[in-house]
Amino acid sequence: MATNEFISTGIEKLDKLLEGGTPRGYAVLILGTPGSSIEILSKQLATTGNVLYFTTEETETELLETMERFGWGKPKIDIIDIASKYSKSLMSGEQKRVSVYEQRSKIKLKELIEIGSQGIPPTPKGCEDFLAILSNEIKNTKAEKIIINSLDFFLNQYTQDEVIRTIQAAKICNIENKGVLFIIMTRGIHGDVFERKMEGIADCVIELEVLQKGSNFERFLAVKKMKNYAKKIGIARYAIDSDGFILEMIERIM
Amino acid sequence: MSNAELKNNGLCNTGIETLDEILGGGIPVGSTVLVTGSSGSGKTTLCMQFLINGAKKGERGVFFTITEPLFKLTKNMESFDFYDKKLIESGLVNLIDLRIISERLGLDTEKYTVEDASALLDILKDIADELNVKRLVIDSITALCYRLQTPEMIRDFIFKLGSSLAAMKCTTFLTSEVPPQKFKYSKNDIEEFISDGIIFLGDEEREGDLMRTFQVVKMRGAAHSRIKYMMYLSTKNGVELTPLLSSTSKIKSKE
Amino acid sequence: MTVSSIVEGLRERIPKSIMMNQTVGIILPDKYYRDIKQVIFEFLNSKSDSFAVYVTITRPYHTILNEFGDLIANNKNIRYVDCVSRIAGISKMDPNCIFIESPTMLEKLGLEINNLFREADEKSSKYLIIDSLSTLMVYNDPEIVTKFFYYLINVTRAKDIHSVYLVIEEEEADKQIKKLINLTDKIEKIVDSFI
Repeated sequence: MATNEFISTGIEKLDKLLEGGTPRGYAVLILGTPGSSIEILSKQLATTGNVLYFTTEETETELLETMERFGWGKPKIDIIDIASKYSKSLMSGEQKRVSVYEQRSKIKLKELIEIGSQGIPPTPKGCEDFLAILSNEIKNTKAEKIIINSLDFFLNQYTQDEVIRTIQAAKICNIENKGVLFIIMTRGIHGDVFERKMEGIADCVIELEVLQKGSNFERFLAVKKMKNYAKKIGIARYAIDSDGFILEMIERIM
Repeated sequence: MSNAELKNNGLCNTGIETLDEILGGGIPVGSTVLVTGSSGSGKTTLCMQFLINGAKKGERGVFFTITEPLFKLTKNMESFDFYDKKLIESGLVNLIDLRIISERLGLDTEKYTVEDASALLDILKDIADELNVKRLVIDSITALCYRLQTPEMIRDFIFKLGSSLAAMKCTTFLTSEVPPQKFKYSKNDIEEFISDGIIFLGDEEREGDLMRTFQVVKMRGAAHSRIKYMMYLSTKNGVELTPLLSSTSKIKSKE
Repeated sequence: MTVSSIVEGLRERIPKSIMMNQTVGIILPDKYYRDIKQVIFEFLNSKSDSFAVYVTITRPYHTILNEFGDLIANNKNIRYVDCVSRIAGISKMDPNCIFIESPTMLEKLGLEINNLFREADEKSSKYLIIDSLSTLMVYNDPEIVTKFFYYLINVTRAKDIHSVYLVIEEEEADKQIKKLINLTDKIEKIVDSFI
């Protein structure tokens, strides 16, 4: 369900928490700790709208199977299966080359000098330029929902600056499409400074957290930031059942 | 020319006393000089001392290594008194591993296409420009040329590199590896024709003693001495040169 | 003539020759070798503003130190270059002495002599003693020694260093050495009937 102003997240209660959905043109950063079921959330977000989905940890088949298991129907989804590409390139050692000028245009000179001066060879990466794939697909898409699950993969292969540049470019494409860009990222592993930078770039930040209370685990979904919509900051407790995310106990913090 | 250059008659002082004397003052600014020798002949030390001496005068320099990784390079240089770490830290001397940069750009380690060579050339020029260097070293140009597939590509590369650096008033040393005891100045014979200057580090034997010799074979624009010198590397002074007393061919055997 | 009166005579003549001439050759029989060294060291000690480089190709530095210990031990203005310890397998070090791997490394020797004189004060009177030219000829080709000799003459002249070349008669293997020593400004030939 989409309006002129908002796009539905695909989860009714979450739309309610956000009072309508995510505003068009917004970039939403979803931060989760391991065990917070962020994986399920990212798939559930793909259940509505015209979706471009980048999957880096699961293959296309695995992804569709999960969605079927939850009974979410056949979504209108274009899946870019980076996970399969990556494992294929690792196994076959394909020597597919990307134009060196393209590579060059993506790295700032100062960064190149930095890399060269450190004298530490970069970790070997797969032969395909996945960041280029990410950036090109987003440039060419007309999808109104773009989901990147997850940014962790790219941060393991490229420098943080390169990734940030790609996200900033993606943001611009998304604004032109009047869609919503969801970026999934694990919290606490990429450094505080980088997280702050990402939180700054995003228009909306949603955080998933799991806290142990006695012998129970309590799961919280917090809307930490919502640019221009201060009222929408709030927290909800959630649980996962056979239909997916269930939000309960919504609290507004304002 | 800047005031400093005018004072120096447009010459770049190497800072190695005897060498500057041999060259009649120094190397004409913007020249590309081939430093040729077999492995272990002292090329790297000579080039590093050239950069360090420039840095001490405020001239920024960059050392591009292709043959040796950075940590090995610094380890070898640290044993010399002239090697001042602070100059590296302050950025007056930049040490850059060119292999890492080419790897990062996805360049093949074995061969470069025309596009690759062109891109690499641009990188070298851009870095030199960005860092505003007046002295540049590539160690070794042989390793780089190895990846350029045809003589035309090599000639083109060195020529364009030399021209760009000359335009930047940057004086360049390119090290060239040749097999020992061979009177060749460059592996492909091309490098030596494009260069403005050639410094040849030879190894000769005299009565069982192994001697490192030093000779300025050519230096365009400089009135240079062509005699052969003996070269020593001392911890205290780095490169030390003294005239060779006699070459092996002239020694008569004792009765 | 008694030996002591010969030494007395040397004490008078040798320093005078060295001071008055830029290059001096001293030809001596082996039996006066020790005395000549004594006289030279005494002379170097007597001038407080002097700076000397003593090159030994005949005996190891530590032997000289033991022989003349009291005379030279405290004189910091004499620097030594030892060309023979290393090939003899002596690996001792000393801050006052530069050790050269072999007496055949003449270029290296020249370089080190030059380096040492750089440390001298501008105003001090400078001396170079080569002990000995004949020993150098034993280890090297006469042609090379000639070139080296010319090199030393030129360098010492340019830098106002008084150079002294010892020639031990018994070591005179080559006629060449006579030619070389005749190039010096002054020759002192020491014979038994010397007065």
